[in-house]
Amino acid sequence: MNVNLVSMSVTSGVTTGPVKGEGLVELVAELREKLERARRGGSESARRKHTDRGKLLVRDRVDRLLDPGSPFLELSPLAAYGMYGDPTLEGGDDWAVPSASIVTGIGRVAGRECVVVANDATVKGGTYYPLTVKKHLRAQTIAAENHLPCLYLVDSGGAFLPMQDEVFPDREHFGRIFFNQANLSAKGIPQIASVMGSCTAGGAYVPAMSDETVIVRNQGTIFLGGPPLVKAATGEVVTAEELGGGDVHARTSGVVDHLAEDDAHALAIVRSIVETLPPVGGRAQSRPVDVEEPHEPPESLYDVVPADTRTPYDVREVIRRIVDGSRFHEFKKLYAETLVCGFARIWGHEVGIVANNGILFSESALKGAHFVQLCNQRGIPLVFLQNITGFMVGKEYENKGIARDGAKLVTAVACSVVPKFTVVIGGSFGAGNYGMCGRAYDPRFLWMWPNARISVMGGEQAASVLATVAGRPDDEELMAPIRDQYETQGSPYYSTARLWDDGVIDPAETRRVLGMGLAATANAPVAEPSYGIFRM
Amino acid sequence: MNLNYNPPSVAQPGGLQTVLIANRGEIALRVMRTCARLGVRTVALFTDADASAPHTRAADEAVRVPSYLDIDAVVAAAVDSGAQAIHPGYGFLSERAAFAEAVEKAGLVLVGPTAEVMERMGRKDAAREIAVAARVPVVPSYSMTDARASVSYELPYPVLVKAAAGGGGKGMRIVRTPETYAEAVLAAAREAKAAFGDDTLLLEKYVESGRHVEVQVLADHHGTVVHLYERDCSAQRRHQKVIEEAPAPTVDAELRHRLTSSAVALARAVGYTNAGTVEFLVDNSTGEFYFLEMNTRLQVEHPVTEAICGGLDLVEHQLRVAAGEPLSFGQDDLGIHGHAMEARIYAEDAFGGFLPQAGTASIVRWSAHARNDHALEPNQVVSTSYDPMLGKVIVHGPDRESARQALVRALDETSILGLTTNTGFLRALATSDAFRDNEIDTAWLDRADRGDSPALSPPDDELPRILVAWTQAMITSLADGGHPFQADGFRLGAAPAPQRVELDELVVVDRSAGRVTTGTASSTRAYDVRELGAADHVLTLLVDGRRVSAVVNVQPHTAEVAWQGQRFVFERPDVMGDRGPAVGDGTMLAPMPGTVLAVRVAEGQRVTTGDPLGTLEAMKMELALTAPFDGTVTQVGAAVGDQVALGAVLFTVQADD
Repeated sequence: MNVNLVSMSVTSGVTTGPVKGEGLVELVAELREKLERARRGGSESARRKHTDRGKLLVRDRVDRLLDPGSPFLELSPLAAYGMYGDPTLEGGDDWAVPSASIVTGIGRVAGRECVVVANDATVKGGTYYPLTVKKHLRAQTIAAENHLPCLYLVDSGGAFLPMQDEVFPDREHFGRIFFNQANLSAKGIPQIASVMGSCTAGGAYVPAMSDETVIVRNQGTIFLGGPPLVKAATGEVVTAEELGGGDVHARTSGVVDHLAEDDAHALAIVRSIVETLPPVGGRAQSRPVDVEEPHEPPESLYDVVPADTRTPYDVREVIRRIVDGSRFHEFKKLYAETLVCGFARIWGHEVGIVANNGILFSESALKGAHFVQLCNQRGIPLVFLQNITGFMVGKEYENKGIARDGAKLVTAVACSVVPKFTVVIGGSFGAGNYGMCGRAYDPRFLWMWPNARISVMGGEQAASVLATVAGRPDDEELMAPIRDQYETQGSPYYSTARLWDDGVIDPAETRRVLGMGLAATANAPVAEPSYGIFRM
Repeated sequence: MNLNYNPPSVAQPGGLQTVLIANRGEIALRVMRTCARLGVRTVALFTDADASAPHTRAADEAVRVPSYLDIDAVVAAAVDSGAQAIHPGYGFLSERAAFAEAVEKAGLVLVGPTAEVMERMGRKDAAREIAVAARVPVVPSYSMTDARASVSYELPYPVLVKAAAGGGGKGMRIVRTPETYAEAVLAAAREAKAAFGDDTLLLEKYVESGRHVEVQVLADHHGTVVHLYERDCSAQRRHQKVIEEAPAPTVDAELRHRLTSSAVALARAVGYTNAGTVEFLVDNSTGEFYFLEMNTRLQVEHPVTEAICGGLDLVEHQLRVAAGEPLSFGQDDLGIHGHAMEARIYAEDAFGGFLPQAGTASIVRWSAHARNDHALEPNQVVSTSYDPMLGKVIVHGPDRESARQALVRALDETSILGLTTNTGFLRALATSDAFRDNEIDTAWLDRADRGDSPALSPPDDELPRILVAWTQAMITSLADGGHPFQADGFRLGAAPAPQRVELDELVVVDRSAGRVTTGTASSTRAYDVRELGAADHVLTLLVDGRRVSAVVNVQPHTAEVAWQGQRFVFERPDVMGDRGPAVGDGTMLAPMPGTVLAVRVAEGQRVTTGDPLGTLEAMKMELALTAPFDGTVTQVGAAVGDQVALGAVLFTVQADD
C-alpha cells in the first residue's frame, strides 16, 4: 500500500510533501523492522543453546572484535530474505535463513578498516546455503578491491548438504572461498581466522588457508572428516576434541597458532594480531609510537643469562629485557617450543623476533619459516637472537627429512626482504647459524655478545669427529690441539677481529643498539618478497 | 578574647636570622613556612635520594649530608651555613640527647629542651621517677618480691607480669584472675630465664581498654609553663597513630583539669623548655589515667592543637622560646575553640595487609577544605627508604561531629594515584560507627587486624569500575571523530551499538542512552547513568540517582580511579601474556619491594607446608615467606641483601605428585 502511494505520487507528478514524506518514513520503519528481525538470527531456542555453551552470539562477537565504539558497515543483512522458506508452510517462511546465516561487513579493528566474515551457528548450524557462499565471496571481493584485511570468525558445519549441487561444484561455489584466500594472501591482504565452533570438511580450510589462526579451547574443532565419517571410513572411534580440538591443533598439528580460553579471549587475540599488521600506507610512513621501557632494567640481563652457553635458560627472559614494555605477542607459543617467535616493539619499531630456546627440530624449522614469511608479508623487520647448537641429529630425524624442513627455514630467511638483525647471544654452530641468519644470510647488522661462540661445530664434537675419522678415537694427543683451535677461533674476539660481525656488544646495550639499527634501516625501501621453491 | 598571637606576629624572633631544619618531608616544609613568614632564612639538609625533594627546593639554602642521622654532619652544616638554631622536627635526631649536646657544644641553639632534660625524660625509669616525685600518676607497679610475698587475691586485676630484662612480648603474661596468677608467674619466669637469662619479673596494672590522651605543653626560659589542652590519639595500629583529634572527646572538664595540671607539674619539675607532649593512658573502666612518657619535641599531630587554639602557630612559639623571648600569653589567654581532627596519609595498602607501598605518584589532589601538611607532588618517586607518611589532612569544626564530617569530606577529596595509600582506610575509619561513637581504644585496630573484631572493609569496586569505563568510552568517542569511521557505534538502520570497555571484566557503556551494564551474561547488572561533569580528571556521574565523583586516570594499559580516598587499579588483561606464573602454583613473588633478609632454603631442598623459605624486609617490616605446600624448592631467586622489585620471583616450590 505504501509502495502504491509513492509510485502514484511519482506517476501523477504530484509533489505534495506530506504524503511523500510520510510514505518514506513508513518505509524506513519497515526496513528497520526487517533489519531488527534479521539481526536476531536463529530461533530463540537455537540462540539459548548457543549462549548456554558459553558462546557469544555472532553480532556480539563482531561487536567485541571491533574497536570500542567502531561503526560497522554491515553488508546485505537481508540476504536470503524470503529465499529458503519451506514452501509447504502456509505463505512460506521469509526468515528461514536470516542474513543467509553469515554476517559480513566493514568495521575498525586496531584503528584500521577490516572486512569481517562471521558465521551464525544459530541459523542451521552456520551451514553454507548458496546465498551464504555468495555473500562470503562478495565480502572477499570487497576486501580484494579495497585491500582490507579479512577476519573470519568461523562457526560452521560446512556446506548445506541438501543443496550441494548449488554450493559445491561451480566456479563461484564453496571452493572459491579458499581460492580467494590464497590469492588475497598472495596480494599481501592479511587472512586471519578465529575458530569458534565447528570447522568441518571444506570449512577446515578457512583457518588452514589463513596467515594466522586462533582457536577456542574445548569449543573450536577443525577436521576434514568428523568423528562419524572417521568411524564409517576406518572404524576408528574418536572424540571431536581428540580429532581436531584446540589443544591438538595448537600443540601438536600446528594448524592453529594461538589457543584461546573463550570467545572473548579469541577475539582479543585477533585484535592483537591486527595490531601487528602494517599501517595503511606502509610501514615506512609511520613514525614510532610512544616508547615504553622494558619492565626490567637491561642490566638484569647479567643475572638471567648464564656465561656458560651450555646452561639452559628461557630466552623469553632476554626478550623481556629488550622489547618495549616487555610485551611480546608470541606466535605458536605451544608448538615447537625450542624456537620462540613473536612480535614486539623495540624503540617503537615493530619487529618479529626469532629466538632459540633449545635445539632445532623439524617443527621448529617449519614454525620459523612460517613466521619469517609472516614478517615479510607484513614488512616487519626480523631480529634473530641466536643461541643454537644446531639441528637435531639421528636416524629418526634424518629419515623424516629434517634437512628438508631446515631448508624451508633457510629458504625463508635467505629470501627475506625485510631488514634482518642478528645478535649472537650464545652459541652459533653449524646449520643453526644458517637458519638463524648468520653472516652469509645478509643480516643488515650482526652483533655478538661477549659470551658468544661461533664455529662449524663445538670444539669437543670436532675433536671427537676428527679423531674418529683418523681411526684414533679417544686419542688425547690428537684431540687436544683441535679443541684448542676451536677454543681460539670460536671466540667473539677472533670473530670481530676478522669482521665476521659488526661488533661485540655489552648485552645491556642490545636494546639501544638494535633500536639504532632499526632506525637506520628504516631509511631504505623494502622490496616485495618472493621465494624459491620450498622443498615440501 | 585578647590573644596577642592572633593574627600571628611577623617580627623575627630575637637574634634568629637563619635556622637549619634537620629533617625532611612535610615537617621540614611546615617549619619553613613559619620561618618564611617570620623573615627567618632557612637551611635544608638533603641526602642523595632527596636531592630534588620538595623540602630541599623550598629552603633558602640546602646542604648535602650523608644521612639525616649523622650528628657531626648536621651540626657542621648548621655552623657552615651560619645558622643560629636548629629545628629538629620529629623523628630522626629530635630526641637524641647526644645531638642536643653537640648542638649546644657548637654554640648553637636547639629548638627544643636542653640536652639534660632530654636525657632525663628519654629514659623511661628516670621519667617515671620524676613523674612520681611530681605526683603525676603512673601505672601502678609492684616489685616481684612484693608480689610473691603478697596474697595474689589482693592484686588489682588485671595485671601484667613481665620480664624486667624483657621486650618483644617474651616473658609477658596478662593475668585476669587470682586463680591463674601462680601459673602465669611461673611461665613468665621460665620464659624470661630462657630468653634473657634473668628471671626477675615486674608486675604492673594492666589496662584492658584505654585511650591515648596527651597534653601539649609549652614553656619558656623565664619560668612560664602553659598547656595547650589535650589530644586523643587512640586510633592507632601497632603504636602507629592513624587519626588524632583535639580536644579528647571522652575527657570532661574535671579530668581535663587533672590531666593538664599533671602535665604542667611534670614540665615544671623537670625544668622543661620549649614545646613538649606528656602522654597518658586513660583507663576506660576506671577513668584513672597514668603517665606513659614525655615527647621532648614537636609532635606529628600538633596541628590539631593549633586548630583548637585559635590558629596559634606552635612552630613560631618554639622559635621565639628558643630565641629567649618570654611567652607572649599566659594560661588564661587560652581556651578551646571547636574541635579538630587529623588523619595521617601513609604509603601503605591498608586493605592488603598494610604492606608498605612504593611507586611514582601520578595525580595528587588535596582537599580545598582542609589544611594539608604534606610533601608529595605529582611524579614524585615514593621509596620505602624513609617514613611512609606522605602527609596529613587536618580539619576543624565547631563541634566533634562537624569536624568528623569535615574529615570525611576532606578524605573524599584527597586523591592520590600512582601508588596506593591508606586514604580509603582512613575514610572508612572516620565513617565507622565505632569512631563516631568514641568507642575506639588503643587496641581497637590491632584487634581488627587479628580478626578479634570486625575489620573495616574497602569500598566496593563496582562504582569505580563504572567511572573508569565511562571515562574510557568518553575518551574513545572524543578522540576518534570527524570521519565516517568515527567511534560512534553506528549501525545500519538501528540505534548505535554501546561501547564495550574491557577492564577486569567487560563493561558495556551506552552513553547516549545513559546505561551501563557490568557482569557476565549470567549475572548482568544494569545502571542508569547520567554525566554531571567531566574535567581535569574529575568525573561526576549520577548512578541510579546517586551522585558519584572521583578522580580518574585512564592510560593505555591501566586505568586508575580514586574514590572515597581509595585507589582502584584496573589493568587491561594482556591477551598474550598468559605465560606468567599464576598465584598458587608454588611461585613465591615479592609482595612488596624490599630487601631480602634471609634465605633459609637451597634449590633441591625438601620442604613441608609452612616451612620458612626466607624473609623479606621493607620499612623495617619483615615478611616471612613460607612453603605453600609439601614439595621441593626448584628455584631460589634472590640472595641475602638483594634489593628486589615488587613481583620478583623469590622462590619456586614444586609440589609433590
